[in-house]
Amino acid sequence: MTQFTWDEVAEGQEIALVEEMSTQRLVIWAAAVADYYQIHYDESIAIANDLPGIIVHGALKGMLVGRLLDEFVGEQGRIVRWGVAYRGMDRARVPITVWGKVTRKYEDGGRALLDLNVGVRQQDDTTETTPGTATVELPRK
Amino acid sequence: MPDLEDLTPAMKAAIGREGPPVIHEVTAPGIRTFARALGYTNPVYFDARAARAKWHRDLLSPPGFFGMPVYAPDVRSDSDSLAFAPEFSRTLNGGNEVEPIAEICAGDILEARTRVTDISLRASKLGQMMIVLQETTFTRQGTDEVVARARKTSLRY
Repeated sequence: MTQFTWDEVAEGQEIALVEEMSTQRLVIWAAAVADYYQIHYDESIAIANDLPGIIVHGALKGMLVGRLLDEFVGEQGRIVRWGVAYRGMDRARVPITVWGKVTRKYEDGGRALLDLNVGVRQQDDTTETTPGTATVELPRK
Repeated sequence: MPDLEDLTPAMKAAIGREGPPVIHEVTAPGIRTFARALGYTNPVYFDARAARAKWHRDLLSPPGFFGMPVYAPDVRSDSDSLAFAPEFSRTLNGGNEVEPIAEICAGDILEARTRVTDISLRASKLGQMMIVLQETTFTRQGTDEVVARARKTSLRY
């Protein structure tokens, strides 16, 4: 895996993952975090809860942002924090794009840091369902 | 559908309250399932030898994974812990924030302490919503070493 250094990253740089969101994947996620809320695998219960159908777990999207950052910082970097808000629902069975964009490059207390905007959107839609921010530390050159 | 003008006394009393510590076990199968669901391919999350070769103590936990709370039939689930507001029966996750602090590996046992930091009411497309902010601090069992903090927004409607 490529190790980025702080020096070679520029403000405005973008990173992204495209991920399929099958109902099987939602069930693997449900098992991974012991979240057995039926709106994430049972269509009739989702609809009875005023939802459009089975929806993707918010935390699955939030932790996919974590993976995006983890793979970006590599072995020598570190995630300082990240946070997202689940503003919109993502329907199951539609691929999502998980993205990040560097908004600020700076040093603080000897640490080489980057702030990013992050988010998630469905393949057939431009709505940002999961906006958030992150701070990561990268190694110097 | 709830139509409250203000927080109930039970809701106000819940702000600042910390629940009992919950034990989380970080196991190798737990780490692998979490990493698989997220599509990780880095072997440090799947193969203990690969993790040790990178100087980790054991199979490494991906960011955001704090093991599984120990399930017991008589212990209330997370959504039941919002029982101070019976006016709202349904829950959505409104947001997550993670602050990884120290390495977490297979075999670790963590203590999670969760505190309600704020409660508010808001109108939404789904009717009136109660927004509950919670902060969880994870420490290594039997020590004061904080390994991570996590914040969560729960939307009740």
